[in-house]
Amino acid sequence: MRKLITFVGSTLVAIGLLSGMTVAADDARVMQEKQAAEMVDTTAYKKDGPYKIGVAAGYMGNSWVVFTLQHIRYEASLHDEITEVLVTDAAFNPTKQVADIEDLISKGVDLILYWPVDDKAIEGALQKAKEKGIPTINTGGGFVDSPSVTASVFIDQWNLGEMVARRLFQDMGGKGKIFAMLPIAGTTAAVDQLAALKEVMKEYPDIELLTAEYGDWNRAKAKQITENLLQKYPEIDGVFSPAGQMSIGVAEAFDEAGRLGEVVMSPGDEYNGWLKWVRANNQGGAVTFPTRVGQESLRLGMRILRGESVRKGMKVPSEYISPGAAGVYAEMDRPDDWWASELPEEWKPQ
Amino acid sequence: MSDRMGAEIDGVQTKIWRWASSNAIWVVLALLFAIAALLSDAFLRPVYIFNVVRQAAPVGIAAIGVTLVMILGGVDLSVGAVISLTAVLTAVLMDGQVANIPLAVTVALAAGACIGGINGTLIAYNRISPFILTLGMAVVVTGMTQIYSGGTARGIVSPGFREFFNYRIGGIVPVLALTFLGLALLGVRLQQTTKFCRNLYLIGSNPQAAELSGLPVKRITIFAYALSGLMGAMAGIALLARSGVSSTFAGRGLEFDVLAAVILGGTTFQGGRGGIGGTIAAVFVLLIAFNLVNIVGLDYNAQLIVKGAIIIIASSAYIYFKKVR
Repeated sequence: MRKLITFVGSTLVAIGLLSGMTVAADDARVMQEKQAAEMVDTTAYKKDGPYKIGVAAGYMGNSWVVFTLQHIRYEASLHDEITEVLVTDAAFNPTKQVADIEDLISKGVDLILYWPVDDKAIEGALQKAKEKGIPTINTGGGFVDSPSVTASVFIDQWNLGEMVARRLFQDMGGKGKIFAMLPIAGTTAAVDQLAALKEVMKEYPDIELLTAEYGDWNRAKAKQITENLLQKYPEIDGVFSPAGQMSIGVAEAFDEAGRLGEVVMSPGDEYNGWLKWVRANNQGGAVTFPTRVGQESLRLGMRILRGESVRKGMKVPSEYISPGAAGVYAEMDRPDDWWASELPEEWKPQ
Repeated sequence: MSDRMGAEIDGVQTKIWRWASSNAIWVVLALLFAIAALLSDAFLRPVYIFNVVRQAAPVGIAAIGVTLVMILGGVDLSVGAVISLTAVLTAVLMDGQVANIPLAVTVALAAGACIGGINGTLIAYNRISPFILTLGMAVVVTGMTQIYSGGTARGIVSPGFREFFNYRIGGIVPVLALTFLGLALLGVRLQQTTKFCRNLYLIGSNPQAAELSGLPVKRITIFAYALSGLMGAMAGIALLARSGVSSTFAGRGLEFDVLAAVILGGTTFQGGRGGIGGTIAAVFVLLIAFNLVNIVGLDYNAQLIVKGAIIIIASSAYIYFKKVR
């Protein structure tokens, strides 16, 4: 028994020590804006076609990425001078992504588009590409400032979070209690969206943030967490949830608890399952997380290969779509795990 | 007289400790539940309690199958991949049509059993390490899911499917929770009464002796792994029923939740020990640990610390109750 008491006691002391740790605040946003506005000298990359394009995917296992890649392929089809698009999939393995990038270099690609598993792990491989005159473009959800990256084509998570928060607070009449459902803790998406939410909250003193939770982009987990929060909080007036696949789980939990009527859902994104929900419930709407970032990335790459000067960071802006309009984008005969996009039908994933 | 009374009290105490010792994980569950109920009255509301049972369904159902192969001295790391595959497969085959539900469910169950059967066959005849083999199978099945789905969780769930499983009987008990409890009870009953389950313990305790005594070790191994695959498929269907799927990796990482529950429940990697009852109790211990920190409203980082500590304390308490005689 004494041993057990000693063990429990020491564990509690450890908890106390660790709980005291605080996370340092990050105000790198202003710096990021400045870095993104810098111009890149592309003369070293200028070359005539035909071109071989390399795509080093950090992972292919989610529908957003699948649509983004289809946008790259579609854009490539519009350029006669592009003869081939080579795609590698690192399946969340940073070591494999390094090898993939080296493979693409040895296959003589003229441009590398990539989305990382771990930015730091692939810096060396990207640097090799740059030294061989191959521009590298980070494509997706965040800006990267590194000598090994020529440019970033990205969706500004902070801006997206700000738009979602403003719309939610307007829909709530500027007051009430909310909780935030965020992606994986520590990711750029989660950090920036929460920072933006808190920033907008300064303008709305009557909005109270009950808690910020992390649903890991997982519908089932978001639902489970919401089921618990519904037990804890007798009053929840709004939910900040920019990711549509989690918003459905949240809304379902409210619905099953018979409390959907009391809550205002924030805009999600153009995830088809969410758009179906918006259409059925005529609320929420969407702030887009555009899969055409892939298309814009290849367009920027082509400008670099032509030797045009470009910005180091190019934002693909998110747009607000009202509930009425968002419902129109819902494809009812398609799966939930699908994205509204302007891809021609034959270029959508089969 | 007083000596006799003292002896009787000692006898009762010994009996209580013996009971606690052989039901250690249930004692831990009861203690954790009592603490949870003290901290939040949600744990006293029947609707919420059955919600927790429904939340436990996917991991709990898969854990029943994995317990069987671990009693045998094996392990099944492919269960998470099987859950993802069968959830996507069921949705695709349903294609939004009610008439497709029986076919979709049957094919998904057959796929799970088939993958488990292949695991079992390779382990029985090639004596490959179950750890490596099922890890490899997890990678293969994940690849198959990606190729089959093209990276999006294709498929539209038929109307009525999720509504049926989430319907609350008497306004309290969801059908999915009842299904899970039914499967758990069936598993415990089969474990106590069937020759197949007795043989699992014999093989797990001493495979050489079991083989020498003429037990059909290969056949039992194949059947146990096929059952694990089948239960993995049921877990995939349960996941689809509970909340739909939003990616082709719906079951990713669940194999670790399953393993944690099985081991905490008293079934060891060495085999020959443990059982389904302990596993089910452990599934609830892990789930209540998560829900408790969530419901009490701790900051996310503090949630991680306390949740981990609850698991460590629960497993220590389990060892303590086990050892006391």
